[in-house]
Formats: sequence, structure tokens, C-alpha cells
Amino acid sequence: MSNYVLKYAKGDAVKYISHLDFMRTFSRAVRRSKLPMVYSQGFNPHPIMTVALPLSVGVTSEGEYMKIGFDGDFSPDEIIQRLNASLPDGLCILDVKKAEGKEMDFSKIDRAKYLVDIELKLDISFDIDEFLKNDELVVLKKSKSGEKEDNIRPYIYSMNVDKKEGKMVTISMCLAAGSIYNLKPDTVILAMEKYIDGFAVEFFSVHRLCLLAGQIQYM
Amino acid sequence: MSFTEKDKILARVQKPTRYTGGELNSVKKNPAQVQVRFAFCFPDVYEIAMSHLGIKILYHILNKREDTYCERVFAPWTDMEMQMRERNMKLFALETGDEITHFDIVAFTLQYELSYSNVVNMLDLADIPIRTSERTENHPFVCAGGPCAYNPEPLAEIVDFFMMGEGEEIINEITDVYIQWKQNGKGERKKYLKEIAKIEGVYVPSFYDVEYNEDNTIKSFTPNNPNAKPIITKRIMRDFDEAYAPESIIVPFGEIIHDRVMLEIFRGCIRGCRFCQAGYVYRPVRERKVQTLVSLSEKLLSSSGYDEISLSSLSTSDYRGLKELTDALLELTQKEKIGLSLPSLRIDNFSLELMNKVQKVRKSGITFAPEAGTQRLRDVINKNITEENILDSVKMLFRGGWANVKLYFMIGLPTETMEDVEAIAHLAQKVLGVYFDIPKDERAKNINITVSTSSFVPKPFTPFQWEAQNTRDMLVEKQKRLKGAITSRKIRYNWHDSKTSYLEGVFARGDRRLGEVLIAAQKKGCKFDGWDEHFDFEKWMSIFKECGINPDFYNMRKREYSEILPWDHINVGVSKEFFIRESEKAKKAVTTANCREKCAGCGASVFNGGVCYE
Repeated sequence: MSNYVLKYAKGDAVKYISHLDFMRTFSRAVRRSKLPMVYSQGFNPHPIMTVALPLSVGVTSEGEYMKIGFDGDFSPDEIIQRLNASLPDGLCILDVKKAEGKEMDFSKIDRAKYLVDIELKLDISFDIDEFLKNDELVVLKKSKSGEKEDNIRPYIYSMNVDKKEGKMVTISMCLAAGSIYNLKPDTVILAMEKYIDGFAVEFFSVHRLCLLAGQIQYM
Repeated sequence: MSFTEKDKILARVQKPTRYTGGELNSVKKNPAQVQVRFAFCFPDVYEIAMSHLGIKILYHILNKREDTYCERVFAPWTDMEMQMRERNMKLFALETGDEITHFDIVAFTLQYELSYSNVVNMLDLADIPIRTSERTENHPFVCAGGPCAYNPEPLAEIVDFFMMGEGEEIINEITDVYIQWKQNGKGERKKYLKEIAKIEGVYVPSFYDVEYNEDNTIKSFTPNNPNAKPIITKRIMRDFDEAYAPESIIVPFGEIIHDRVMLEIFRGCIRGCRFCQAGYVYRPVRERKVQTLVSLSEKLLSSSGYDEISLSSLSTSDYRGLKELTDALLELTQKEKIGLSLPSLRIDNFSLELMNKVQKVRKSGITFAPEAGTQRLRDVINKNITEENILDSVKMLFRGGWANVKLYFMIGLPTETMEDVEAIAHLAQKVLGVYFDIPKDERAKNINITVSTSSFVPKPFTPFQWEAQNTRDMLVEKQKRLKGAITSRKIRYNWHDSKTSYLEGVFARGDRRLGEVLIAAQKKGCKFDGWDEHFDFEKWMSIFKECGINPDFYNMRKREYSEILPWDHINVGVSKEFFIRESEKAKKAVTTANCREKCAGCGASVFNGGVCYE
């Protein structure tokens, strides 16, 4: 058995698939590809697949990672080719690496880069650097254990307004991600609405660019 | 960069993948390059609709045509409907996301009566005029098929034409004629309808006039167009082994009800249970060959990636090649770690051995359907199963390690007495007795018996089509009596609400006058009547009242054999004479042998195929 790390993209067509549905969709694609999946032991065998950082419903990405085991040795090109022929439109394998030992450990991931498209209610101008000068950005943050007020400022590593045309704004951000602290762009937008005068969001969409371990892109 | 209305809506609803399409094996075409845009509508939510086998077949049949693009359209769940109505978004097709308002053909499959309000609601959401008479050249033709179409009358004012029976061929024929009509510059809608009225199995309600007697029964039913046939005969695929079966199926992203490959092993049923419409309208039984099924399974599994396959038919055990088929499938499934499920299996040594092979470790529950508590009543309904059969079967199950048994019955069957009802409890008690008679170390632990009852609804094209349905008070009384008769704590009792059965009964045997009621009901917000959380019985009752229609006329009334029934102009092959004979035998509690034991002369042999000529 060999373990592989797959880097894949989740496009617009499949952005509403939940994590659970994604896992099912993916394991069916592997079946179709006839790559020999490795199953867990036990009463109800299931394919061994681990996703680095499950994506929220509605979010697209060009930098997702998963670990998967195949029975046998395959070249990355063959895996890419066979899986891409079997995946539904919108899901695409970008890169494959054989994972040996701990070097590809998902627990090293501590941040993620996002592109956020925002439609503002009113066309206002604002200064993102002023926003970042706040020592504290306290907002209600949702987590598994419920909602609580939290200062998210330490977990915003960078933010930049890439484009602004009328009410439409594109902001790139690098935020804490992973098992230690996970900050969603949604929460940052809440903070912007709270701390920037007149900043009111009509609608927004999130695209994840990549996951990083420190300053280094994961793969 | 900007956001679409659909983006904004989908962020606000549950399960957005119900509305996005793009699933594996869904068909992509350029709509500009086809002649016919076809909306295949299932009037229920995605997870139910996508579990239906018929849609999978017809979708691919239509899309095999280069001149046609068939897309799926399902009922948006209420949260989605609210968002759509708020933003003036019309009902759209899943594949392209385009509004269906100006599609060419909008076809509904009618699987249960309680989905009728959704048919009307979907037309309203699509901004297609509800009534046939209000549609113009620029509107689609609205048609329907499926088991409920055998009594098309409640939808006669709403649906332009119906297709009777199996749709594989007829759906192509009406599409061909549509293309001719379109190429000839369209014109009057009637021109198209007149042309398709010639096709066997097509019923155009507006080509018939109905007169009523003073007592509201039908006085006459007469064609008013030279092309309209006095009797419309259903279509079937005579050679089912050769009939088209898709080799790839759409694989949904989200979980659906039947989330697996479904392998249709035969159509029809040899049994002839007298309450069961499916047992008659799909006659004669026609099987697929084992080789055909095995090769189809391989293709379906590898094109879908599903890890489960299920046999589909009205009665798995009646498939003659079952052993050969399951041997071959087990070989396939065990190699590929695929689950095999075998619904509606009779319990005997063979099936038990089979279940042991299939289920391995997990012992899920087993459902028995004795349908009635006493032998007399089981003979009335021609359910050819004895108490001894049932008790022997459960004994095998308990010894085989199963301890979860569900017993399914109907209450409100013709001739039923309180004794019959109480006998349900006694039968469940006897099943429990069988369990305790087995030594402790030879049986599974924790016995769990569930008795569940549903309320009998008389259906067209059954020997009980003339019978009165039980009143709600009577059904509630019977449920109470049964509950009281169950004394053991090991036996649980579930019953199905009688209010939905009441409405189902009205529409099952309804006539044209119910169209007004459906239209009024949609205006008042009736939808998803098959869903408890949406069904509003009192609202329906007040609508009947406002429309001046007494619903009891349709479901609570016993009919004479001589009465003209609203569906008398439809021919399913099984004759009215046969149903009268069966109805008389039922009254005397005399059973009828199944098709393979002895032909009962039902009339289905007119189709020149299947079990009648085995």
C-alpha cells in the first residue's frame, strides 16, 4: 500500500457540496477510476481518505489537499489522469505526491489564503490598513462549542484590497487555519461591518487559494 | 464580477445541490442546437424524484435523440419556493438552469395522488397557465404519465394529454409529431393534439365530453373529435429483455432515498393481491434474462461508482432465475466490495441462505406483509400467505440471528370486522411466542416486533374499485382497538394517519370536477400533501366546501357494477369482467391462483407477451 497526497480544486459547479457529500462523491470517482482503494478494517469498511481542512459549503478552492491510500504503486501522472477522467465537472486533481513518513503531515498547516468577492450595499470607500491598525477586533465567532466573543486580530496575517469597482470589492486575505485556530473569511467580514463605518455587505463569495505551513505553501 | 440572483438564493436554502444539477452522467447539450426542449418533471423534492427508476430510463431515451434535450425539473422545497417567489424567479430546469416557461414539452410523472397539488404549483411557479384552455402556441404542451395517469380525470382540465402505460416508445412518438408540428409553423394547439390522438396510448381529455346524472354519477363519456379513440389502451414493452435500459445513471451529490444502482429484473406481478393496483396495471409479467441483467449490472456499477446495487421488481422471489442471478451478482459484488440488497423477498431456506451471504455481519430488520390478521380476510384480498407460512418464516429468522421483525398490515379492507383487527394483535403475539419457544442460546437477543398499519384506499383497476373506503372515525376506532389488543411491551404499534388516506381516496377515484378543487387548493397554498409537515386537512375540507364538492362522493360511496367509472375509457388489458369476477370471489373469500399456477383469464394476454405465453 502507498499513501498519496492529492492537491485538488473545487470549482463553482460543485461548491455547494457538503464535506460529507464530497467524500462520497470522491470515493465513487475512485471506484470508477479502478484505482485500488484501501479500505478500513471492521464491520463497515470505508475507503481511507483524509481531507486536510474541509471546505465550507459555498466556497470554491484551487488548493485543497487529501491523503489517500492505494494498493500498489502508481505514478502521479497516472493517478491524475485516471481520477480526472472519473470526477464530475468542477472537481479536478492538480497535483499528486507520494507521501512517505511525516513530511506531509496535515497538522503542520496553520494558515490559508483566500480571495473574497464582496458586493457592498452602498458604494463607499474605506482603508483596509486603518482597519488592520485596530489592536482588537472583537466579534461573535461560531465554533463547534457554540458562539463566543473573540478577538480575531491576531489571526489575520494580511489583507489587501485587490480591486474595487463601485459596490464590488475583491479582498485577498491570509488567515489562521487548521486545528489550532481556524478563522473563516465570514468572520472577518463581520468584523469589517462592525469596525468600518458604512461597510455593509449585500452578498459575498469565498475562494480558497492555498493552505500554508508558516510562510511555505503546503504543496 | 457580479453575483446572480441564483447565487444569492442558493446561499439561503437547505441542500442547495437539489437545484444546481451538474451531477455525474447528467447530460449536457447546447440548447440552441435542438428542436425540442423537454422538461421531465417529478412533482416532489429532489431526493424522492431522483430515486425513481422511470425518470432514469426516459431521461436517457430522450437524450439519445440529437434533436431533443431532456432536462429534469423537480418541486423546489418550501424554503426555495419562498426565495424564488420573493425574487420573481421562475421554475427552472436543472441541467441549464433555464426557465421552463417556453420549453416545448413539459411532462409530469404521476406516482401518487398526493403530489397533484405540486403539479399545479409547479406550473404556477413556471408561469405556465394552469388550465389547458388558457395555453397558447407559445406555451409548452403539458403532458403526464405514470401509474396515477390510469385515472387521469382529476387532472383533465390541467394536462393537455396523457400517455398510458410504459413510456419508452410513446415518448419518442409524441416528440416526433411535435417536431413536425413545429416545422410546419406550429399554429393551433389542437392540430398537434389531433395528430397525437391517433397514437396508441395517448389520451387527450379535451376531445371527450362528460355528462352527469342528477346523482352526480357519470351519464355519458363521448369523444367529440374524430381522432379520439373511444377506448385508450396502455402501451407496454412486449419484449422486456430487449427493452432499453440505461447503462449509466446520474449520480447525485447529496444522499437520496434509493442511493444505489437499481436493477429492474422484471415488470408486472403474477400475484393478483386484490387491493394492489400495481399488481394489475403492469400486467403481464415480463422478465429480463439473467445474462442481460448481469452485464447491465457491471456497466451500471462501473459507470456510476456506486457501492450498492438493489434488485427492483414487485416481488423478487417470483423471478425465475433468482438463484442464477444472485450467484452471479454475489461473485461480482464480493470482489468489488459492493452491497447487494434484495427487497420484497419471501422467506424460505433459499432466501435465508442468500441473506446470510449478502448481509454477512449486519442483521437489519426484516419486514413481513401479511396485510390482514385473519386467514378469512387474507383470502378476501387474495394474499396467498398462511399463518403457518408466517410463523415458519419468523422461526427461521429468529434461529438465523434476526430479532427485528416488522409486520405490516392494512386496516379498512373490504368486509373487515373488529375481529379481523384484533387478530392482527394476536398474530403479532404468536410471532413473539415463536421467539420465546426457541431456546435462549439458539436465538438472537432483544426481540423487537413492530406492527404497523396503513389505511386501505380503494384504487381504480382493482377488484375493490367499487368499494367504499372506511370513514376516518371508523379507522381511528380500529386503530384504538388494535392498540388496546396489543399487550406485550415487546410489540410496538405504529399507524399511518387516516387524513392523508382520505384525500388520497378522493383523488384516486375522482373525476374531472376535481380539477377546480386542485386549482383552488394551489391558490390557498396546498403543496407537498404527502409530507405530514405540510398537509393541512382542514384547509382541504374548506376548499371542497367552497367548490361545492362533497368529497365523500368519491371515496365513501359504494358503486354499482353498472356505474360508468371515470376511468372506464382507459384499457390496461385486465378486463372489467375479470375485476367483477374477482370482486365476487373476494366477497366469498375465495382465492385466485397466481399467473404461473393457472391463468385466471384476466385479459392481459391481449398484449401477446410475458407470462401469458411462457
